[in-house]
Amino acid sequence: MNVHVSNEKSGISSVGAARVGIGGPVGSGKTALIEQLIPLFAARDVSLAIVTNDLVTAEDAERIRRSGLIDPERVSAVEAGACPHTVIREDPTLNIAAADDLEARFPDLDLILIESGGDNLASTFSLDLVDWWIFVIDVAGGDDIPRKKGPGVLKSDLLVVNKSDLAPYVGVNLDQMLKDAQSLRGGRPVIITNCKIQQNISDVVDLISREVLLR
Amino acid sequence: MLRVEKIVGDTSDPAIFDLIHDLEHHGAVETITLPTDDLNRHRLMARTDQGSDVAIAIPRDTKLTDGAVLYLDKSRAVIVRAAEQKWLRLSPRTASDAVELGYCAGNLHWRVRFDGADLLVAQNGSAEAYLNRIPDLISTGRVSASEITE
Repeated sequence: MNVHVSNEKSGISSVGAARVGIGGPVGSGKTALIEQLIPLFAARDVSLAIVTNDLVTAEDAERIRRSGLIDPERVSAVEAGACPHTVIREDPTLNIAAADDLEARFPDLDLILIESGGDNLASTFSLDLVDWWIFVIDVAGGDDIPRKKGPGVLKSDLLVVNKSDLAPYVGVNLDQMLKDAQSLRGGRPVIITNCKIQQNISDVVDLISREVLLR
Repeated sequence: MLRVEKIVGDTSDPAIFDLIHDLEHHGAVETITLPTDDLNRHRLMARTDQGSDVAIAIPRDTKLTDGAVLYLDKSRAVIVRAAEQKWLRLSPRTASDAVELGYCAGNLHWRVRFDGADLLVAQNGSAEAYLNRIPDLISTGRVSASEITE
């Protein structure tokens, strides 16, 4: 009986690419976060592909394809229809197929980022689809967002609070917002970002690298 | 760090059971205890009860289970155990209360199972957090609650 598993390997490569979900409300900065993550992963020699979800268009996919940050062939679009949470939770078949297709076309892939369509605070990802998932909220949505205890805020592996620069303009106490989020999440990480100036984006990359890429 | 790319067996397999049993006598079986929800993951960093870090990345057509053996040789084994699952038992008073409770459970995407006339809700957090979502049913006594652990 062969029951030996090598622990001498330099990395994990034979089980396909890691899959990370990025969800959150409309306009919170999911696509902006991806645009910041792409060059940082490229600098770390992480072979990357993207799946975007939009309601009835491919707007986010087109934005990333035109960005010049990544080979457009590595960006796939899923049209989610009226229920963006359904295709990442109850029936993620379309997204699984899109990710499988990317893996088939790019066998060297290390990581696939799957951006959900903008949704409410209740959206969560199925672990049949992703290995780990991020929920993005933004300061301009109000500092009471964490206290609303939405499943996305509570259950995500990483909560990103984006647009930190807007706090003084929308009357948000960012420190209190962070404390509320941390106290509700039982020790799971919260990172404050401002995608416009790459604030703390490398922390997000570090976390994905450690928790999912296992590096 | 130990890297695992496949599940090599299950402790219930008679052949593996004997090997594990021998290793247990030498304190050479390390256990990773995972919350039930985390058993659905295919990639994760974990730590054994003896402090060893384990990087797990298994194929998507396989699944971590209670008793899954991740590593086994003559001197060491690493196995997975599921953490205790708490269930919240919700007992509706009448059939109409049961219908309303069922609607709420579905609407809230709770993971449930049935036990006679009771609804069991898989708890991930405090019971209070769940009961606070059905305040009218609880405050009026139309549904009563108790916790159980498996």
